[in-house]
Amino acid sequence: MSAGTVIRSTSPQRPGLRLYLRLAWRNVWRNPRRTLLTLSAVAFAAVILVFMVSMQLGGYGAMIRGATGVFTGDLQVQAEGYHAKQRLRTAIADASSVEARVAAVPGVTAVSSRAQAFALVSSATRTYGGMIVGVDPAKEPSVSTIPRTIRKGRYLSGATSDEAVVGQALASNLSLTVGDEITVLGQGLDGSLAVAVLKVVGIFSSGVPELDRQTVEMPLASFQSAFLLGDRVHAIVVRTGGLEAVPHVAGLIRAAIANRPGLTVLRWDQLLEGLKQGIAMDAAVGWFLYTALVLVVTFSILNTFLMSVLERTREFGVFLALGTRPRILGRVVILESVILLLLGLAIGTLAGAGITAYAGVHGIAFSSSEELLAQWSLPARIYPRLDLLSVTLGPAAILLATLVAALFPARRIRRLRPVDAMKAV
Amino acid sequence: MTRSLRSGLVALALILAAFGALKATAAADDPATIVKGAIDYWRDVTSYTVVEMTVHRPDWERASLMRAWTRGEKDSLVRFVKPARDAGSATLKVGDDMWIFSPKLNRVIKLPFSMMAQSWMGSDFSYNDLAKSDQIIHNFTHRLVKTDKQDGHAVYVIESTPLPNAPVIWGKERLRIRDDHLLLEETFFDQDGKPVKRLSAVKIGRLGGKVYVTSMRMEKLDEADHWTEITYRKASFGLSLPDAVFTLSNLRNPRPGWERP
Amino acid sequence: MARLALLLRLARRSVLRNRRRTLIILVAISVALWAMIFFAALTRGWENDVVHNAIFTLTGHLQVHAPGYRDDPSVDHSMKPPNATVAQLLAGTEVAAWGTRVRVPAVVMSEHDTAGVTLVGIDPAAERGLSFIADAVHTGRYLDSPDDRGILIGRALADRLGTGVGKRVVVMSQAADHSVADRGFRVVGLFEGDREATEMAYVFVGRRTAMTMLKLGSRVSELAVMLRDRRQLPAFLARLRTAASGLDVQPWTTLEPMAQAMVALGQAWIWMFFVVMYVAMAFGLVNTMLMAVMERTREFGMLQALGMRPRLILIQVVFESCFLLAAGAAAGIGLAAGTLSLLHGGINLSILAQGAEMWGMGKVIYPAAAVVDVIGATALVVVLGVFSSLYPAWRAARRVPIEAITRN
Repeated sequence: MSAGTVIRSTSPQRPGLRLYLRLAWRNVWRNPRRTLLTLSAVAFAAVILVFMVSMQLGGYGAMIRGATGVFTGDLQVQAEGYHAKQRLRTAIADASSVEARVAAVPGVTAVSSRAQAFALVSSATRTYGGMIVGVDPAKEPSVSTIPRTIRKGRYLSGATSDEAVVGQALASNLSLTVGDEITVLGQGLDGSLAVAVLKVVGIFSSGVPELDRQTVEMPLASFQSAFLLGDRVHAIVVRTGGLEAVPHVAGLIRAAIANRPGLTVLRWDQLLEGLKQGIAMDAAVGWFLYTALVLVVTFSILNTFLMSVLERTREFGVFLALGTRPRILGRVVILESVILLLLGLAIGTLAGAGITAYAGVHGIAFSSSEELLAQWSLPARIYPRLDLLSVTLGPAAILLATLVAALFPARRIRRLRPVDAMKAV
Repeated sequence: MTRSLRSGLVALALILAAFGALKATAAADDPATIVKGAIDYWRDVTSYTVVEMTVHRPDWERASLMRAWTRGEKDSLVRFVKPARDAGSATLKVGDDMWIFSPKLNRVIKLPFSMMAQSWMGSDFSYNDLAKSDQIIHNFTHRLVKTDKQDGHAVYVIESTPLPNAPVIWGKERLRIRDDHLLLEETFFDQDGKPVKRLSAVKIGRLGGKVYVTSMRMEKLDEADHWTEITYRKASFGLSLPDAVFTLSNLRNPRPGWERP
Repeated sequence: MARLALLLRLARRSVLRNRRRTLIILVAISVALWAMIFFAALTRGWENDVVHNAIFTLTGHLQVHAPGYRDDPSVDHSMKPPNATVAQLLAGTEVAAWGTRVRVPAVVMSEHDTAGVTLVGIDPAAERGLSFIADAVHTGRYLDSPDDRGILIGRALADRLGTGVGKRVVVMSQAADHSVADRGFRVVGLFEGDREATEMAYVFVGRRTAMTMLKLGSRVSELAVMLRDRRQLPAFLARLRTAASGLDVQPWTTLEPMAQAMVALGQAWIWMFFVVMYVAMAFGLVNTMLMAVMERTREFGMLQALGMRPRLILIQVVFESCFLLAAGAAAGIGLAAGTLSLLHGGINLSILAQGAEMWGMGKVIYPAAAVVDVIGATALVVVLGVFSSLYPAWRAARRVPIEAITRN
């Protein structure tokens, strides 16, 4: 180390940052093998964290999109009280105008209205209770995946009023195939018999057992006339550009329908409460793992920092004897650590982001546990989500923890006494 | 809802009362006999009635008209005449089974057990209430609490407790039966002793040749302004009704007749 | 032997020479091992819970049904009670418990509400060791006999129905002759399930009471069997299939495929995490050893100059790393044992119950350290740790004496 520069810096004029940097940079590479190992440790942790956090956030995103995409949607407008107790009468009156208002709200990408009621569904031979849902055949595909999960036949065409699609388990309980006739017998708005004779045009398998076991979808207009609902619906289902937009869009919708008392806007996390809790729980396990990883890496690196100071004790003693202030030596040491960390994090983050980006394009297949993933509304292929948060969160945590570790050896320098230090081995 | 209503309900839907069957003899003090007497008087051996039903809710009200045939304790057929929407819809009960017919479907559907607790035609009666109309006779023990005087009649106040394994959800029922077999009131209590709903006579008059409760109301006591009122417009009792009345084919393709003695 | 002892002493002394450095790397090793064991125990706890729940929520190790019952679990698909051949098998020593049940969809009603449930008619004594219900009664009493006239309902269902012990509910279902079967039952006990879904889904009555109510005669819906040892399942299954020909005999893995898949997933997670933690720890270990070796370049040079063979130096360094690893591992295991014993009573998840159910978990999860995981984690850390210290050891041994002595 070229000590001369530092010695002269005892003059009132303070040495500049550039000088520190040069010194630190040179020190970093004094022991290239150790530096490389430290860099690798930091980079490894960064790669893992960037990838895992992206994977986790991507997984949650997929889970939420999957769960909400089947039927629930990102948001629903409902009459107050309907979510707690689904009564036929608890409906949105004058629904077309409300739907139009909601559709006009910025950020809303798709809207579809539904009405639903519990009723008897009968095939030629059997009768089961089922949930009959009146949907708009043209708009429903933009808010629900059911139209895309038709296993046999096709989805409602909208061309005729007497079509129905039936969940797979319900169809098998009723021994139905495409082309069969079903009758629906329920109670209309005024308590009178609500009846409909429908032709099964398709059988769907949404992947959600509850839906497949009890749902029949039919055209909204025929539903409304059979159940005497007029222009009433039970839910206006809304899709937005992305989950992040949901709270904001919810606020906008609330404002847009403020003149219609008795309506409420429910977000996906209010409609599917278990989903949010499940994610919170998984995230907690994730944080535990990440914390442990960061901790282990920090302690692994701490030794490196400590060594690089200890092995130079004699050298520092000389500097101190020559009048260099301990604070300045401390700064140089911290700067060394910061350089090392930033370099490692930069490499790790870049590599992690690269791997994640690649996986984000191609997806990661979990083919063997497809059924299991379906239960959690996850697709067979998960696409990690690379964004500012997932890229910076892990590395920032590592930087924070390791910086604390770097302060520890630097503090030692301040306590050094020149004479003792020069005697050190 | 409960099948217990049965007595009341039964009456409603099935309606009737036996005219001279058991001439209003002063009832013995045996409460079971008093109860059976009231139910038998109400239903008679057979009956044909024309009934108006009003379902009232805080924000709406709906009236319908129906024709009903009953025979004994178990069999009944109810056919809607009004409103136009429901005209032709019918409910048949034979023994413990129930079927629904809808002319729009042109189909007969057997009611699965899972639907029995549902409301019948939007009223305050459930399918169970109709199906179990004779339950008050068979599934309860009765105790005469006191005897009141009212309009020159003795009124027996009877408390009925369900038998241990009877399919009855109520804690108890309290009946007020006049000495001429008229059921004036039936109150249903939950198992904590709180009254939950009440069937009460609104009007008493002469019908089908006998003194009869011509109008009665079922109301939910825990929900204000929820009630269903039944008013008999016409009645004939003691008809000879053949088996053919209470069949699926008659449910589907009603044959005329059977309305007069 | 003496040489080995010397090497050990040398190694120990070097490890103790720089206590701070030793302590730091020990912390890294033990935190890594602690996290590995703790995470594995959490995951195993989850797996156990999933499997236990699958098996004890009425599934058993295997079940026999009439063909068609699994697709349409109704009164229409009932079967005769076990015949003589089957009964003989069930009397075998490998069977821990078995019982026949009636199990059909039903509606349960109180004065206040109505709920769709599965009505299960059981032999109360046979369910001990066969399903959760015998030990799940929370208030009131368990059923006495197959003829018991009472009913057990879940606590959550009781809340929904507004009913409780001592009150009456009515159960309606379809009888074998397709007439409506209904009957009043006195609630004799409330049971608590591990999951709220269980409390809402099942009501229990005496089996013979249910058979009478449903007009089943002597017929039942299912036979459930619990073996003493899950490993005997394949053999027993094969014999039972022969004995009960014409019936649908299935192991729990078929009846509850999700539980099986979750176990496999948990296994994969554990090993992924093990490897990641190992790598993170290994960087620190190698670096520490490398430093320890380099600062003693002169010492090793001397030793070599004095005639110590490079191989012995290598062994000495490996010993040093063994000390660190062993001490770190012991501390990590001790830490994990401490943490786990603190969590002995389980981690209560009831505030997140709905979320827990999404992952197939109950209200309480009991971390369960599996011996195989503890050994696996320790072996991974120690064996691979020693392996990674070969590099610094090799560097120490490879130095040419003169260069080493004169350096610095």
